[in-house]
Amino acid sequence: MEKLLAARLHAVKVRPYLAGALFALHVVEDRSVPTMAVDAHWRCYVSPGFVARTPMEELAGVWVHEVSHLLRDHHGRGERYARQHEEFGPGERSGTGVPPAEGWGRLRRNIAADFEINDDIYGDGLPRPAGAVLPSLLRLPDGLLMEEYLRTASMSGLAADLAWLDCGSGADGQDRPWELGPDGAHGLSRHQQDAVRFRVAEGIKGRPGEAPEGWRRWADEAFQAPQPWRQLLGAAVRSAAGAPGAGENHSYRRPSRRSASVPKVVLPSLRRTPPGVCVVIDTSGSVSDAELGSALLEVAAISRAVGGRRDLVSVISCDAAAGVAVPLCRAENIELVGGGGTDLRSGFARALRSRPRPDVIVALTDGQTPWPSAPPPCRTVVGLFPRPARAADEEDPDYVPDTPPSWARVVTIG
Amino acid sequence: MTNSTLLPATDTRLAVADGLLNLLRTTTTEPRPDEQLEALTLAVAADLPVLLWGEPGIGKTAALTQLAASLDLPLTTVIASVHEPSDFSGLPIVGEDPATQGVPMAPPQWAVELVRAGRGLLFLDELSTATPAVQAALLRVVLERRVGALRLPPGVRIVAAANPRASAADGWELSPPLANRFVHLYWVHDQEVVVRGLGGVWPRAVLPRLDPALLPEAVAFSRRVVCGFLTARPTLIHRLPSTETRRGGAWPSPRSWDAALTLLAFGTAASVSREVLALLVRGAVGDGPGLELLAHLDRMDLPDPETLLADPAAAELPERGDLRQAALEAVVAAVGARPERERWEAGWAVLVRALETGTADLLVAPATALAAVRRDDWEVPATMDRLAGVVGLARQADRSVERVAAAAAAAERAAAGTRR
Repeated sequence: MEKLLAARLHAVKVRPYLAGALFALHVVEDRSVPTMAVDAHWRCYVSPGFVARTPMEELAGVWVHEVSHLLRDHHGRGERYARQHEEFGPGERSGTGVPPAEGWGRLRRNIAADFEINDDIYGDGLPRPAGAVLPSLLRLPDGLLMEEYLRTASMSGLAADLAWLDCGSGADGQDRPWELGPDGAHGLSRHQQDAVRFRVAEGIKGRPGEAPEGWRRWADEAFQAPQPWRQLLGAAVRSAAGAPGAGENHSYRRPSRRSASVPKVVLPSLRRTPPGVCVVIDTSGSVSDAELGSALLEVAAISRAVGGRRDLVSVISCDAAAGVAVPLCRAENIELVGGGGTDLRSGFARALRSRPRPDVIVALTDGQTPWPSAPPPCRTVVGLFPRPARAADEEDPDYVPDTPPSWARVVTIG
Repeated sequence: MTNSTLLPATDTRLAVADGLLNLLRTTTTEPRPDEQLEALTLAVAADLPVLLWGEPGIGKTAALTQLAASLDLPLTTVIASVHEPSDFSGLPIVGEDPATQGVPMAPPQWAVELVRAGRGLLFLDELSTATPAVQAALLRVVLERRVGALRLPPGVRIVAAANPRASAADGWELSPPLANRFVHLYWVHDQEVVVRGLGGVWPRAVLPRLDPALLPEAVAFSRRVVCGFLTARPTLIHRLPSTETRRGGAWPSPRSWDAALTLLAFGTAASVSREVLALLVRGAVGDGPGLELLAHLDRMDLPDPETLLADPAAAELPERGDLRQAALEAVVAAVGARPERERWEAGWAVLVRALETGTADLLVAPATALAAVRRDDWEVPATMDRLAGVVGLARQADRSVERVAAAAAAAERAAAGTRR
């Protein structure tokens, strides 16, 4: 026990931002646990034999590893993944149809969760234990999420070697025989877990210099689930296209057909004004074709969904000068011309000159451009391809591109 | 065959079918705590407009039915997407002489009935699939409680429901000023509840009841919590949502803090769990500020350092490690703020007490800090010997950290050697 606590102190010393979470864990000694495991209620089960035979500095790494499972909500995510993808394959389902505790799906989720953790928590005061499971074992790239590892790899090659791997229900969401369950003592309720997570995340955000990249990303996203850009872009375009003056809405321009049956009452009728959407595409050298292609297809699909006819969606390719507005007939036929520097201002000007004037302008760009100084007289959505912050111009290292203006709704793509 | 011979046969077949339907509809209920429903009940009782977010078909309507029954309020459901704007803003009726009499806005039947009853639960369903004009008219109903020329009586409570943006058929979303007026509750289904319910046993939530004896205390408490918190964190009083992902949700403003204060008072008077309070507060002011307020509440639960110092032998310290350490650090801070010898010794006694009742590693940081408070003429108290184990633990950890650093340095030297 003393060794285990000293190891926790070691972990706190080298990872001060995890201190709150590490101390919030309640230690339960149990001989039936293979090594160390956590459950969904923030209890930490420890095998005394494992502690005795493991060096203290490696134990410190195990502490950080286990608490990472909990901070990153692997139990909740593992459970959701299992439910959505019917992860109850033949290996997992026993004769009676009840999945046994030791299942193949469970092991897969545990391995994937370990991949997500192990690629960036070791080093810098925490030696990597000999048996640590790394994505490189399957020649997978570092830095993916548990769900991505689960989708891309079968992991069957690893299963035989890693059958001993067991980080508890905290890692994959499946209960173990030794666990105390939700009613046992010293568990943390969901709100308490959220509170601990929140404090750790705020600590990391408050002193961003201390934590590695992976933890900083986690802290940014812990309480703000990243939404897929397709949905965000869709919502932005739809709400822009559905604004007064465009889209389907009630209008008093003509009386409703219901009016005939209720004399003396004036009723509005449902009118449909298909919105005109103009897509301004940044074709400067800094945006890749693949990025543009996927975003453009998305915009085309969205404008069809809001009732835009194909002839009402036009595309302007724009580098330093704007091309002509091409009506969108088939998405694959659009010819994107350009390269070199960007000035989206000419693209905006061209879009507003076109007749009929568009109801919505969607600009797809990496943001390395000057913006119009005044808001255009129609709704604007900016699809922004993220670029790492760096000096964009070698001749003028002080040059910082303007951020998209506040009058546009900005959706980060990719 | 004639019609007369056919009819009885159809009749009996339908009767059998009815029998089967009756059997299917015969279900029982079991008591089961339901945090979502408790939160909804309190927000409705507090007369704040609630917006339920949830995928279609997961039982929002069923929950509302149960709520109405338990609050003994008649339920009026209005499905927004099948109405026209004038159904909510009132139907303009041209009279004999509009120039002198004006054009009255006639309210629809459901509103007239609600006003006549004087009380009821108005459920505005499918808010997100109605056209923008209908939504604009509906929001006037929610915010000003006006339907045409009628004003809804105070006994009417309003709940709205919307599909989340990801599954919404069209992309309507709340603008920040509107989102700020709602308490946002995210409705999710519980696998266990659904499976048991389809098996014939639906849950029956025990709804919270306000205790009349607790009312003044609840108001004082929630005012103390919110005011204390906002004094410490003034930047959280008003913060408009800035990013695209945060749009349409709850965000902090004086208005929503007022709602949070009300909800906190209702939760306290009903003695609900922290989980329910968390749902309500986060639903009113947003996740970040809500969680910070709850963390503030947790800190208020910590024992007062002066009480601990006054009687260290009987000190009751929190069980959870991180809270216990926070309590000990507060004690050390209190000693440091007014360093006197007796207080310093009492501080050591509290640490000894902590060692007797919990793990030793938590004491390292507070003990180091308390040792630093020492003045030259203060003698080391005898109880310090009992903390020798803590010092040993700290040394072990230090040595372990050094070993790793040394190993890393050695590896680097070796790598440099091979490069050369």
